[in-house]
Amino acid sequence: MNKTQLVVIGAGPGGYAAAFAAADLGMNVTAIDLDKNPGGVCLYRGCIPSKALLHVAKLLNETKEAAHWGIEFDAPKINLDKLREWKSSVVGKMTGGLGVLAKQRKINYIQGRATFTSSKTLKIDKVDGTTEELEFEKAIIAIGSEITTIPAFNIESKRLLNSTSALDLPAIPQRLLVIGGGYIGLELGSVYNALGSKVSVIEMTPGLLPGADRDLVQHLSKMITAKFEKIMLESKVISLEDKEDGILVKMQDKNGNPFEEKYDYVLASIGRRPNTKGLGLENTKVKTTQRGFIAVNKQLQTDDPNIFAIGDIAGDPMLAHKASHEARVAVETIAGHRTAFEPLAIPAVVFTDPELCWAGITETEAREKGIKHEVAKFPWAASGRATTLDRTDGLTKLIIDPDNGRILGVGICGPGAGELIAEGTLAIEMGATAEDLKLTIHPHPTLSETVMEAAEVFYGQSVHIYRPKRK
Amino acid sequence: MSNEFKLPELGENITSAVVSKVLIKAGDTVKEDQSVIEIETDKATIEVPSSVSGKVKEVFAKEGGQLNIGAVVFSLEGEAQSAPAVEETKETPVSETPAPAKTETKAPVATSTEAPKVTGGIKDVLLPELGENITSAIVSKVLFKVGDVIAIDTPLLEIETDKATIEVPSTVSGKVVEILVKDGGKADVGKAFMKIQGDDTVKSAPAPVQSTKPAAQVSEPVVVDTPVESKYVRTTMDELVVMNEELKSPVMTAEPPRAFMEMQPPLQSKSAPAAPSVRRLARELGVDINQVPGSGIGGRISIEDIKAYVKKLNEGRITLSPSSYPQSGFVNIKQEALPDFSKFGEIERKAMSNIRSKTAEHLSYAWATVPHVTQFDKADITNIEEMRKTFAPVVQKAGGKLTMTSILVKVVTAALKQFPQFNASVDMGKKEIVYKKYFNIGIAVDTEYGLMVPVLKNTDKMNLTQISVEINNLSEKARNKKAGIDDLQGGCFSISNLGGIGGTYFTPIVNTPEVAILGVSRSQLEPVYIDGNFVPRNMLPLSLSYDHRLVDGADAIRFLRFISETLENPFKLLVEG
Repeated sequence: MNKTQLVVIGAGPGGYAAAFAAADLGMNVTAIDLDKNPGGVCLYRGCIPSKALLHVAKLLNETKEAAHWGIEFDAPKINLDKLREWKSSVVGKMTGGLGVLAKQRKINYIQGRATFTSSKTLKIDKVDGTTEELEFEKAIIAIGSEITTIPAFNIESKRLLNSTSALDLPAIPQRLLVIGGGYIGLELGSVYNALGSKVSVIEMTPGLLPGADRDLVQHLSKMITAKFEKIMLESKVISLEDKEDGILVKMQDKNGNPFEEKYDYVLASIGRRPNTKGLGLENTKVKTTQRGFIAVNKQLQTDDPNIFAIGDIAGDPMLAHKASHEARVAVETIAGHRTAFEPLAIPAVVFTDPELCWAGITETEAREKGIKHEVAKFPWAASGRATTLDRTDGLTKLIIDPDNGRILGVGICGPGAGELIAEGTLAIEMGATAEDLKLTIHPHPTLSETVMEAAEVFYGQSVHIYRPKRK
Repeated sequence: MSNEFKLPELGENITSAVVSKVLIKAGDTVKEDQSVIEIETDKATIEVPSSVSGKVKEVFAKEGGQLNIGAVVFSLEGEAQSAPAVEETKETPVSETPAPAKTETKAPVATSTEAPKVTGGIKDVLLPELGENITSAIVSKVLFKVGDVIAIDTPLLEIETDKATIEVPSTVSGKVVEILVKDGGKADVGKAFMKIQGDDTVKSAPAPVQSTKPAAQVSEPVVVDTPVESKYVRTTMDELVVMNEELKSPVMTAEPPRAFMEMQPPLQSKSAPAAPSVRRLARELGVDINQVPGSGIGGRISIEDIKAYVKKLNEGRITLSPSSYPQSGFVNIKQEALPDFSKFGEIERKAMSNIRSKTAEHLSYAWATVPHVTQFDKADITNIEEMRKTFAPVVQKAGGKLTMTSILVKVVTAALKQFPQFNASVDMGKKEIVYKKYFNIGIAVDTEYGLMVPVLKNTDKMNLTQISVEINNLSEKARNKKAGIDDLQGGCFSISNLGGIGGTYFTPIVNTPEVAILGVSRSQLEPVYIDGNFVPRNMLPLSLSYDHRLVDGADAIRFLRFISETLENPFKLLVEG
């Protein structure tokens, strides 16, 4: 039986980060993944392809907005095959690069699916049809999550998309229904909307992006409501029925009244769930939570001391950057370092237009938990840069501990907000105070000034808005 | 205006302080800016000036007690006023006016400052002009609830216009009786958004008061009688689960998933203000960063703070550096945790006597800092024992007791003259050797309080009788707790004679900063091979421990040989002593 010091199961942003870090520390590493190269959902079927398409969407939207500035373009001609090809080339470049990096680090990369046969051994069903047994000293499970499906919606239809098939751009539907008002649905809905589809969203809860502060979501809702065909809140889908020219969707509105509509395509984006099936965890001492996540401690160690778990499979939030940070902690723990996964903030970004992002606590959470806080907001209407972009539909807000001025949370909505949140995350991690942000010179004219000015608002001294500090 | 003085904000992160001194007492007349208490914070001792003036009724701060920020320091008699006005009232009337009269005035004053008077009828409050061309706005947040008493300038609504988020301050004061808008709802400029039971005297409000019913003017009048906050029910994926279940989906399990934006790490509001790299270092060093005092602004913790804290922690365990010998370097030894002895049987804990704890400390220090070597030898004392017995009565007459110890003092003194490196100390700090030109010998005495080492001074100037008498005196003093500091310090060399009790050899610990100690055990008759025959001789076991930093092995054995030979042939004392 082959032996390895460390086996990493799954080579997404958590798994490949773990494998690379371990190899750099001198460990003998085997990485197992079904795809040809490392990358996982993030690179193959998630973050990267969706952002490539969202970039295109942004361009298309801006050509329309340009009319407002006196510049008009003809309707764009969209070559879907070429667009798909370009998106695939982006993915190919990234994953291919990772494959090279893995080789350079002398990582034994096996294309296949691993199943634990004990706390020390694995069986690998390789893509080429052969199987291999592997004995390991330590294992890191980084197998990720899969798309949540609802059996009642599982109709055999090429018109029913999920977040993976939607990225393959099968067509530009006339009318698209997005089930679920979460970030995946809104991002993909935005892409199709920009490409020319009439997009509707149906969401159970009373608002889009449940959990986010409403004052941030409001900017996004306003934009989406204007662009999309229809936003149906507090409504739900009863059934889907495949018809020759579309899918007939039976729904129920917020008053409980049933209604139906026909869409060319339906995109179900309900959520993701941990991918523990078939891992053979029953042959180890690894325990899972009720929701199917693998239970880990702060060192990402499972109940089986030889086995670690990181990324989506180890719990929320299911975000690539959380996974790669956890990867480092797990590998360092294996290497004998004293370390722990203890971030003060994990930034979350919704790449819609405008982008919406968050780090640290939300105002809603602070209020619900009775955490002493003050909110300082800087509306982008007062930002010079936002005005030059003709995009004043943004807001930067800070959640501040009034006792010491420390930044507890940062929320930003607006175009490019995803880049700005990094400063907020750093501020929280550094234990920075609003004063620190205020006293840091920010370049003018940029959107980053809104962070500084929000801090100034806290002290009642913002240059560009007048809001005296409450006594 | 207040009739109390509360502990004001003292600085960032300071939530309480220890009162080190109270500078006022009941009946005192306090002026604004007069220091009233002295407090100690983590950072400094501060005098706290009063912000009120008047006659002190009761002082609540106690010396040595803890005061939280905002706690009442003292109360004033009668109507307190701030600053200038008080100057007049205070000087004359305070002392003359009887206290009760003033107490009565207290109540209404307080009410009027804390809450606007609630009188008069119910009125509408209208949404003021928000800006050019703005006729309506989205209410992003209602900042008050029914029953709240609001004052002029209290922020009431947060509204979103096309341009910006604006807070709408109140132009009136009174008690809120009805709210006509809701979070996320629309409000029209010039139309009522709430009703208050107001103070009729407030006439300056810019919004014209209307008597018509506002309900008709507002699209969706809603009476909110629960706190507004509760409107934002956490709308999460929990509900999505419910939906899934309704759709007969078995995929999701019972543990409620959290929605995307809520998946933040738990807030550690008390978490130390430190950069991630600093927190990582603390973890690696096994330090709870929340315990580390930060030296930066707002208690910010630096890498240096962590290092200083770790150093302090280590020193706080056992510090083996008696302050008397700081030049000898220091040793940090971690105190091992003691097991719970009572698990194994009955125990009794007693406080260490001072002398025991000092002995422990000093010997630990000596043991840890002095590189010890012990050299053994035997001296044939057959002849000198005979002589001792012969001369004992002479000494006894003088009030002393001629013992082997007194003889050894004499012999050692001679040896020290011969080998000056034994009458010396090490100064590692200065890299110097201190040679002593005087001869003081310490004698270890076993007392019921513990080990004591009285010192015989100038033994080179004493004969055996004087030495014997002096040993007697000092031992008595030590046993009767009469030994003074002078009797216990200034030693050059120590002798520990356990021969009276027994034993063969032992390894005494050098009484640093001395550099050697002679251990004496019980003499025994032994067969000694002399001139082709074994003859019984009285042999005395000697153990010499020395500080190898200064004394080398060859010197030590020469020193010890000198002692043995002198004991064997005391005439040496006359020749070389």
